[in-house]
Amino acid sequence: MAKDVRKDILWRAYLVYLAVLIFALVLIGKVVYIQTAEGDYWRTKAKELTIDTLKVEAIRGDICSDDGSLLSTSVPIYEVRIDFGAITKELFNKDVDSLSSQLSKLFKDKSKNEYKQILISAQRHKDRYFLLKRDATYSQLKQLRTFGILKAGKYRGGRIEISKTRRVMPYQNLAMRTVGFERQGISVGIEGAYSTQLKGKNGLSLKQKIAGGIWMPLSDENQIEPQNGNDIISTIDINIQDVAENSLMQNLALHNAHHGCVILMEVQTGYIKAIANLTRSKDGTYVEQFNYAIGESSEPGSTFKLPTMMAALEDGLIDLNETVNTGNGVMKFFDQEMVDSHKGGYGTITAEQAFINSSNVGVSKLLYKSYFKHPEKFISRLYSFGINKPLNLEIGGEAPPYIKNTKSKTWSKVSLPWMSVGYEVRITPMQTLTFYNAVANNGRMVKPLFVKEIRQTGKVIETFNPIVINESICSKSTIEKAKKMLLGVVESGTGKGLKSNLYKIAGKTGTAQIARGNTGYGEDGNMSYKASFVGYFPADNPKYSCIVVINDPVNGTYYGASVAGPVFKEIADKLYATKLSTVAVTSVMNPNFMAPIVKTGNQLDLNKIYQSLNFLVRSDNPSAEWVESDAIKTTVNLKEKKMATNIVPNVVGMGTRDAIYILENAGLKVVLNGRGLVKSQSISAGSKIVNGAIIQLVLTRTVAADTLKEFFIKKTALDKQNELLAEKKNADIKDSLKTKKDDKKEKVTKVKDPKKNKNSKKTKNKGKGNKPKTPKNNNQH
Amino acid sequence: MKVLSNIKGDKVIWAVVLILSIFSILAVYSSTGTLAYKYQGGNTEYYLLKHFIILVFGLTLMYVAHLVKYTYYSRISQIAIFLAVPLLLFTLLTGTNLNEASRWLTLPIINVTFQSSDLAKLALIMYVARLLSKKQEQIKDFQSAFVPIILPILIVCGLILPANFSTAAVLFTTCLVLMFVGRINLKYIGAMILIGVVLVGVFVAILMNSSNQGRLGTWKNRIENFRSGDSEGNYQVEQAKIAIATGGFFGKLPGNSTQRNFIPHPYSDFIFAIIIEEYGILGGFFMILLYCILLFRAVRILTRSPGTFGAFLAIGCSFSLVFQAMINMGVAVNVFPVTGQPLPLVSMGGTSIWFTSIALGIVLSVSKETETPDVPEVINASKPAKNGE
Repeated sequence: MAKDVRKDILWRAYLVYLAVLIFALVLIGKVVYIQTAEGDYWRTKAKELTIDTLKVEAIRGDICSDDGSLLSTSVPIYEVRIDFGAITKELFNKDVDSLSSQLSKLFKDKSKNEYKQILISAQRHKDRYFLLKRDATYSQLKQLRTFGILKAGKYRGGRIEISKTRRVMPYQNLAMRTVGFERQGISVGIEGAYSTQLKGKNGLSLKQKIAGGIWMPLSDENQIEPQNGNDIISTIDINIQDVAENSLMQNLALHNAHHGCVILMEVQTGYIKAIANLTRSKDGTYVEQFNYAIGESSEPGSTFKLPTMMAALEDGLIDLNETVNTGNGVMKFFDQEMVDSHKGGYGTITAEQAFINSSNVGVSKLLYKSYFKHPEKFISRLYSFGINKPLNLEIGGEAPPYIKNTKSKTWSKVSLPWMSVGYEVRITPMQTLTFYNAVANNGRMVKPLFVKEIRQTGKVIETFNPIVINESICSKSTIEKAKKMLLGVVESGTGKGLKSNLYKIAGKTGTAQIARGNTGYGEDGNMSYKASFVGYFPADNPKYSCIVVINDPVNGTYYGASVAGPVFKEIADKLYATKLSTVAVTSVMNPNFMAPIVKTGNQLDLNKIYQSLNFLVRSDNPSAEWVESDAIKTTVNLKEKKMATNIVPNVVGMGTRDAIYILENAGLKVVLNGRGLVKSQSISAGSKIVNGAIIQLVLTRTVAADTLKEFFIKKTALDKQNELLAEKKNADIKDSLKTKKDDKKEKVTKVKDPKKNKNSKKTKNKGKGNKPKTPKNNNQH
Repeated sequence: MKVLSNIKGDKVIWAVVLILSIFSILAVYSSTGTLAYKYQGGNTEYYLLKHFIILVFGLTLMYVAHLVKYTYYSRISQIAIFLAVPLLLFTLLTGTNLNEASRWLTLPIINVTFQSSDLAKLALIMYVARLLSKKQEQIKDFQSAFVPIILPILIVCGLILPANFSTAAVLFTTCLVLMFVGRINLKYIGAMILIGVVLVGVFVAILMNSSNQGRLGTWKNRIENFRSGDSEGNYQVEQAKIAIATGGFFGKLPGNSTQRNFIPHPYSDFIFAIIIEEYGILGGFFMILLYCILLFRAVRILTRSPGTFGAFLAIGCSFSLVFQAMINMGVAVNVFPVTGQPLPLVSMGGTSIWFTSIALGIVLSVSKETETPDVPEVINASKPAKNGE
């Protein structure tokens, strides 16, 4: 190459190179510019686009009964969808048969062919978001994950899982309306009233968009940890609640009544131990639909005679012993007739008797005599008892009482006599009960409470002490007189039917005609009634007060004593037997009482129980450890139940505690499903024992067991503290199972009262608020 | 070992190529995640392996190309240009439509899509180098030098233009630069630039008044977006800028890019933005430096190159590559409107890498001849034209 040519080429090449260098500098300059001058703008934008906050939902707290049984809890449920775009046709065709049969077997809601049809149609339309199941439980989901195509997951199997939580009430109907719910802005019961406590605080976590449009948490830790909701420990006693609800239901059904309610209150504290509200549904069954106890304000009828009589007593206008002529049971006040339900009247009786026999004529005459000059005094006295004020209950929906005064537009001459017997006023069962409870509590009126404590992960953070509305509603002497009258009602008056030999009940019957809207009180023979009984027990040292109201019984009887009374009695008996009695129940055992057949169990235990109940016990082998019982009248025959050492014993029919003891001693691991007696066992009796093999027992009560189990899985994973507690408890139980000593004692008390035994099916898990780790604890009675 | 001992040519160029290849593998692996999820069921190794194989094959091509004595490329260029022109025509009429641009040709039997403009580009540069070298005697002449050289340029660029405006423009510019270095009369080049500018102006004018559909529509949108700087309508640029801005000085470190999920084609057109995001300004600067070194080494060859053909071949091949790299990086940092130019040797894409490798092999082949100091003297004596034949 010629030198000048090369030189020429070279300077040109260098010039080009310089140009490129300059361009390179421009590029670097631009990068620096973007990073600095525009940097903040783009970085903010980047965060908006690639990072977002993700709500970490706090787990809603539980509502528990007073012993920690779950009344309402949150369990995870899953919506399962299929993306048919992700499944190849060949794979689908190969798998659709087995998948449909598996689905049909799992959900049991559609036949195999139905499933197949639906799946094929969805596949044909290439549905990318096909709804397979809206609310699968966790265990269903776990199984679903093992099915054919779905096994391959989201990208190849098209399985889409959407996790949600659902609120469940393990006891379903029990106190449903009072436990309540909260959805779409409607809040009912405790659930609604304590929503802020229950719901906790949602946390926040940063998530980032990654390949495939998936949002992934940025780090393992949440930016703001979610604060799980607190647990509400209600005052409700689940055993009493069960008795109340069942008894009410039976009596409602018996009288084919429209609706009814029961409230049980602890006298000193105002704690509501049971509250049941049942309405007849279209199909004739009774369901919790409306909280009549606090929301239905109506004319109370005779139960209102207590405050009116007390008003006159307090004002010193009448005396219990003064007489009143009730004549033939009909009395005319101006143009209105006051009639006694007792045909023919009581003649001349004392004021006390007028109350005891619930004589409308007697009571209204006494009150009219006392206040006809100054009816406003009567009203102000009633007001001084506080019964004109709403109770301002924690839970919403309380209907305010209506006690009219003399200035009221509807006040008439007959208002005084009619009010005196519980008409022309409106009051809810809860308000009536609160007043009676105040009498039982020696004049101290306490506010009804539904919630005892608030707990945070098992620790009590707030206790609700009794709230006194009125330290003393009236003088002590009036209270004494009122108590005397109330006791008289049950001892010798309209409430005779409730009389018990064991303890004394004090109360008042009520039979009110129901005003039916504009049509008034109805024609004769087409009357609508409200039967009620309100009172407390034991009368000498009141512990509980209770009201039962049954609306519109249509099968003949409608008197408070005969319709509402039995419910009251059943609850009172139950409470007396479990909480109040100190005397051995055996003393009252009818000698002709049939010996109850009990579960298969330990011979020593059974022997002790039967003998303490004075039954004759015969045994075919007194040294046998395990026996079956068979009772003929008062004689009990115990037959040995052979438990071979190397084969799986038959535990069907046994209580869970005994079954676990036997099986775990035999070297098997027990998994329980449900509670109650053993219904079936997964390894059949007589098979050879394989050490450590898992045997599953299905128990008689499996309601909600599935959901409960899931709840436990969830809870334990989240709550280490509880897990530790549960483990500790677990160990304790194992110990007690081995020693079996404490065990026996407990059994003795249990079988003592056959009635209690019957109801004890609802008894569960006395663990105070712990979420036990293993289902084993869950099944202790 | 024999292969290693046979590696000749500029060691710096070899080193640059290797470093770029490593960069390429890292950046491509990091940015193909989305693609892997879309088409390979999340198998991200698929693209890594594929790209690795392509790179290795490219290096092999480069090795083979550098073994060939550069003088042979003079003849090869003739064959290549006669192959490329009909291929371009064929592609224009039947090629596979990607982005509505008929750029790709599917090779029968081996079923590889292939951008015919890549071949044409290399062929044209070699051919122009050959012509320039041959016409050095009368290089300033219009009739005997300028016209014969500009004609094939216009034909090839004209054939590329309808399908790929940016490649045609880049190639045309490269050829003009090559003509400038090849001592063509500046008047003619100036006139050519003027004509080019006018033509582009007319083209843009037509574009702006045409419909928004098809290839014309894409161009129109791109130009409009660039001109208005409208961030709403310019998603790619916006995302690239986010990548650059969040990269900082040292970057987010390899594999931590988030913008790869937002930028379309992060593994090709916008790979420079991903590199800055992961390696920071430092990485970006290093990248630019590598290309500058590449060009510098090529320019250095000129000082000792045995003949003008070798010189033009080296400057042509290297400038074409570096210029394309600058355009690509310019797009990524929004100095240019969005074009589809890959970053040579770094972006994913088979044929592009292979032709780049061959081009580099040719540069190396030329550099090989400058290694022994005695040789230039010998060849210096002979006429360049003879080398060309």
